[in-house]
Amino acid sequence: MLKLDHIRKTFGSYRAVDDLSLEIKEGEIFALLGPSGCGKSTTLRQIAGLDQPDTGDILLKDKPLFSSAKDIFVPAQKRNMGMVFQSYAIWPHLSVYETVAYPLRLRRWSSADVDVAVRAIIKQVGLEGMEDRASPTLSGGQQQRVALARALVYKPDVLLLDEPFSNLDVKLREHMRVELKILQRRVGVSVVLVTHDQAEALSLADRLAVMNAGRIEQIGTPIELYDEPATPFVRDFIGQTTKFAAQITEIGSNGDARVEIGTAKFPLMGTASNFVKREMGEKVIACIRPERIAVASAARGHGGNELEGTVETMLFLGDRYECLVQIGGQAILAYVPSSERLKEGQRVPLAFPKEALTLWPN
Amino acid sequence: MAELKSLSPGSPVRFPNFALPRRLRLSAFLCTLVLLGMAFFVLYPVALLVYSSFLVDLPSGGKALGLDTWISAWSQNGILQAVINTFQRVVVTELISFPVAVLIAWLVIRTDMPGKRLIENFFWVAFFLPALPVLMGWILLFDPGHGLVNLGWAWLFNVPKGPFNIYGFSGIVFAHIAARSVAAKFIFLAPAFRNLDGAMEEASRIAGAGPIATLRKIVIPVLMPAFLITIAISLIHSLESFEIELILGPTTNFYVFSTKIFQVVREDPPQFGVATVLGLAILISMLPLILWQQHLSHSRNFVTVTSRSTTLPLRLRKWRVPIFAVICTFGAFITVVPVACLLMGTFMNLYGYFDIEKVWTTTHWATVLTDNTLIQSTVNTLIMGLSAALIGTFWFALVAYISVRTKYAARGVLDLLSWLPASIPGIILGLALLWMFLTVPALQPFYGTTAILVVAAILASVSTGVQLIKSNMVQLGNELEEASFIAGGSWFYTFRRIVLPLVGPVLIAVALLTFASAARNVAGIAMLVSGDNRPLSMLQADYMIDGAFEPAAVVGVLIVILALTMSVVARYIGGRVGLTAVAKKKDL
Repeated sequence: MLKLDHIRKTFGSYRAVDDLSLEIKEGEIFALLGPSGCGKSTTLRQIAGLDQPDTGDILLKDKPLFSSAKDIFVPAQKRNMGMVFQSYAIWPHLSVYETVAYPLRLRRWSSADVDVAVRAIIKQVGLEGMEDRASPTLSGGQQQRVALARALVYKPDVLLLDEPFSNLDVKLREHMRVELKILQRRVGVSVVLVTHDQAEALSLADRLAVMNAGRIEQIGTPIELYDEPATPFVRDFIGQTTKFAAQITEIGSNGDARVEIGTAKFPLMGTASNFVKREMGEKVIACIRPERIAVASAARGHGGNELEGTVETMLFLGDRYECLVQIGGQAILAYVPSSERLKEGQRVPLAFPKEALTLWPN
Repeated sequence: MAELKSLSPGSPVRFPNFALPRRLRLSAFLCTLVLLGMAFFVLYPVALLVYSSFLVDLPSGGKALGLDTWISAWSQNGILQAVINTFQRVVVTELISFPVAVLIAWLVIRTDMPGKRLIENFFWVAFFLPALPVLMGWILLFDPGHGLVNLGWAWLFNVPKGPFNIYGFSGIVFAHIAARSVAAKFIFLAPAFRNLDGAMEEASRIAGAGPIATLRKIVIPVLMPAFLITIAISLIHSLESFEIELILGPTTNFYVFSTKIFQVVREDPPQFGVATVLGLAILISMLPLILWQQHLSHSRNFVTVTSRSTTLPLRLRKWRVPIFAVICTFGAFITVVPVACLLMGTFMNLYGYFDIEKVWTTTHWATVLTDNTLIQSTVNTLIMGLSAALIGTFWFALVAYISVRTKYAARGVLDLLSWLPASIPGIILGLALLWMFLTVPALQPFYGTTAILVVAAILASVSTGVQLIKSNMVQLGNELEEASFIAGGSWFYTFRRIVLPLVGPVLIAVALLTFASAARNVAGIAMLVSGDNRPLSMLQADYMIDGAFEPAAVVGVLIVILALTMSVVARYIGGRVGLTAVAKKKDL
């Protein structure tokens, strides 16, 4: 529905957005995830029409919003998008009601229609009874609801969210995430969300793009990106990764390879990614999500891919331990259920499921 | 999307050049116009002044470049002395008033002294009071011959004469301290003291230091950047002073550079060459100071520590009331007392003489209020003030908007041009404007009209005005406007419903302040007044120079009423704007 085609934007010699293409489907939540300065906010502002790409095309429902070739630029106020800003951008001189009514008034709705629409959306975001409050007297969470109501009241084609939860405290943030998802499912609006918080992107988005240095590293569903990261950047940016240096000692027929880990020469079987040349003796990095490592009693019955290590430290996090285990001179991170009673210094078996252990170039 | 009535995508706007959004390209042209306008009224006159100082009249009637004016000017009697006097007066004034201001600011902000509001209001009023009317109050009290305080002293101690003399060096220093010197510093310093994190002081107290040791070892070093910038700005402002020396100096033949310039230009024939050289010499000697001040304000190492930890202020205990009494007396002494004296003076047959047969009269009010000169001057002041306020505020808003909201390449230059007039003494800028209006053919018809005074009044307020609007716009943030664009608002709709309501109060405040400053201004316009266009402030100065203190007092009261009401309303509005901004910040 919303399509970005080969977008480029440079500031001086700095490439803020570098040949970016993506497509957002009707009714989905699409997240742009990346570290600060990766170009995600610039991209969002270009979709909104607050910023102009140097080259490329932006299409909404096949109609051009921007085209460098055709020399088209639809200004922000004609794009029919809604946006929630990081600062919420709540106008301090208007009441909650007037703030939400603002977009409708400038669309010359009759005051009866405005009243119906405003009261409906204020109810939906849970601000009933606050219509006459001056916006600056609201709390952060309430201000965000106002911003959301203002952005949704005119039924925009796309809702743009720029780090919408970063100013809220942790509890409220989690609460607002759930509320936003429920609201979005009810309204059915397409959402583009910009965030640097991977938990936010993974939990909210139907699909997401991980951005780095102005480029898209990978696009996919949260599960795809988590389980099958395509680049080292995505692998390290999303979730925790336990990494250790290894060397290929044996090459299997179906993309598998056997590796030795560190000085202790424990052989393990892993899945070589496309980047690895799969040569004998090649130095690689073996990666696994810490929760995929089975420790102690859970390690039994995995047939083969097992090692023994020494528990170095244990951090108790309530639902689990974060455990550093020494193997062959390297400390690797594994998650252990809190029901497991381990002691520091104890020797424990660890199992590495073959499909979870991936090999990456050194 | 059925409800959507008008705005939908697909009606693209075409740009011939898509590298810049249309908004930006339009403003690039406008910005350059603003920049050129600013340069014309700030840089060009000063450049003209420099150029003319190197022009020499040839015997043949032509002109050539040379140093003759520079050399001959210094051989003039009293020129060098005027420069020395200037710096001597400034240094002595600042050495006394700065420590006093620091002490008062600390006591008012960081102790449990009562009546803080009252004291702050005293200083604001003192800051807004015009110098000349206040000076008349002091003259009534401290005239060596018949000043009330001197008479009282003589009666009390049974001596023939009291010890005080408002005329001459010490009187001038006193007048500066009692006029704006302490008040302005207090106003600069108070926010710095207010923002100081109380935990720093508490840590010092817990470590065993007493309140004085804490002030000396913690508070003062931490606030040093704020102190330095205050000193720099005060020195520049103090150097610019004119009116006080104009009235109190000549009787003891004490001239500073500004009064000297005024004197030589009023001679017949006017000695423009000497005035120009003297003005430029002062500008050059101020240059290091100006650069230092710029350096300080750009290095931004202010300790604007968050005021989140609001600690209990230091307890003064038994000193609470005595200290309040002293500061409150001082506050009243620099505001209520001189104004009351001035008002009293307007009803005296002979200003300041209590020992004549018939002391009191209302004839001065009757004569002055029906006097054509006064009516003409009042009209002039109103026209000048209103024009300066309207044109000036529009201009300041434009400059502020460009430097805050656009990516215009030369906005730094524009910024520089907007603070420059604050660093150039009014009398020199006036002299430069005089040159410009006399030599540029297109401007010559304006000489002697109110228009020339409007230009001077706008220049006198440009730095403050632009600064105030800028800081307000910065606080508002781009996103408030962008949110409106996204919601479908056009530029004009956004300006009308979002920008104007939010910036409006500060614009009104700036307009009022510009009016008040124009009504009060003497130094900036003294060179440009020529009879017909004389406003109230200059009328009062002329009356005082001629020794006609009675009508001068009446005019002074009018100026005080005009300037003070405008300023107080402006501060009230400005305060409310500031408060909403703070409240907004706290909530986010």
